[in-house]
Amino acid sequence: MSIIIISSDSYPVGREIAMKTAKNLDYDFLGRESLAQIADNHTIEESKLIKAMDDGPSFLGMKKRVRNRCLAYIQEATLGALINANRVCQGLAAHLYVLGISHCLSVLVLADPEQILQQSASNKGISKKEAKKLIDRHNSFRRRWSMDAFDLDETDPSQYDLTISLSQIDADEAVKIISETITYRRFNPMTYSVKCLHDLELAARVRSALLESFPNVIVRANSGTLVVETAALKREKRKRAEAIKAVAGKIPGVEYVEVHVLNDIFRQAAESFR
Amino acid sequence: MADQLEVLLLDDEPIVGKRLKPALAKIGCNVEVFEEPAVALKRLDEKTFDVVVTDIRMDDIDGIQVLEHVREKSQRTKVIMITGYAMMALAREAMEKGAFDFIAKPFKPDDLRRVIAKAAKELGSSINFEVEMENEI
Repeated sequence: MSIIIISSDSYPVGREIAMKTAKNLDYDFLGRESLAQIADNHTIEESKLIKAMDDGPSFLGMKKRVRNRCLAYIQEATLGALINANRVCQGLAAHLYVLGISHCLSVLVLADPEQILQQSASNKGISKKEAKKLIDRHNSFRRRWSMDAFDLDETDPSQYDLTISLSQIDADEAVKIISETITYRRFNPMTYSVKCLHDLELAARVRSALLESFPNVIVRANSGTLVVETAALKREKRKRAEAIKAVAGKIPGVEYVEVHVLNDIFRQAAESFR
Repeated sequence: MADQLEVLLLDDEPIVGKRLKPALAKIGCNVEVFEEPAVALKRLDEKTFDVVVTDIRMDDIDGIQVLEHVREKSQRTKVIMITGYAMMALAREAMEKGAFDFIAKPFKPDDLRRVIAKAAKELGSSINFEVEMENEI
């Protein structure tokens, strides 16, 4: 079950490379097509999931709480899909949450800037100078989006195992490089890395179940043992811990739940001013 | 190939060898346990083992050096790395240098038996580890 995650500064370019790589290696392609199924499973509109991936939280737009829930559903489903098959994944922000998995090759594909500039200018009927401004704005938005959602800068090449710039290498050569790199022994699945992926998937599943009632939870899993962190007022601590244990304890794969409830200093301060 | 799998187990914590030796013997492994890497390396020079299970973090000689030593001596031997300090970079380094598998401590004896079963299969062992394991459950 080898995994390749492809990210790009241009969604269509990333998708093209990912699909070609999947075909070349005979891996399954995992992309935004899966959002329809995720939306069905959680009775949420697919458009909301897409919005959560493409827009930042804003006063008039999607609320941060809703956006986090949408991203948690995507994260849960993507991790689940990566467990049992050879896959090339693109367009689901997996490079921001499939972390520390040694058999996962993460690739950043940088589109040819000149080509993107020309395409953008002709599609929108604007000058190259205006198109450049739009592209810069988009890149800066992606940086802010990834920092806000996952505390990682997705435009930073050091976050990836491999960075390919298409200004000098064509798409087919990029596919060849990626296909060859995944055959390196270091990207072979091993007991440790498979266990880490299972732990991530379990944590994501539990977080997804908890988020509706407890929007600020952090969940970590280790072989069926869960550590859940949350914040609450002092008087609510026990009740909160019990409620979390009741929900998490029912999820398949969970053997033991430990809840750490920290003091919610903001609510505490707000109450003391009343 | 012989019916028994020849296994060298190296860990500087005596409890590891004490617990794992009988667990591996149950599935048909002939296990030699070592706590000192230098002594284990000497033994590796004398005998070619089917499987080497080694801790990574040890004084003087670490598990990666043991892995390199085994690779120089025998391409056939399967080396399984075990460590309490598992990290992605270390796991990738071990795999790139030819480790067969990498397991994070703590683990259950069954986890190691499963990996040894996989190694035995690749070595063409006639011992049926799967059946033995199923019987135990």
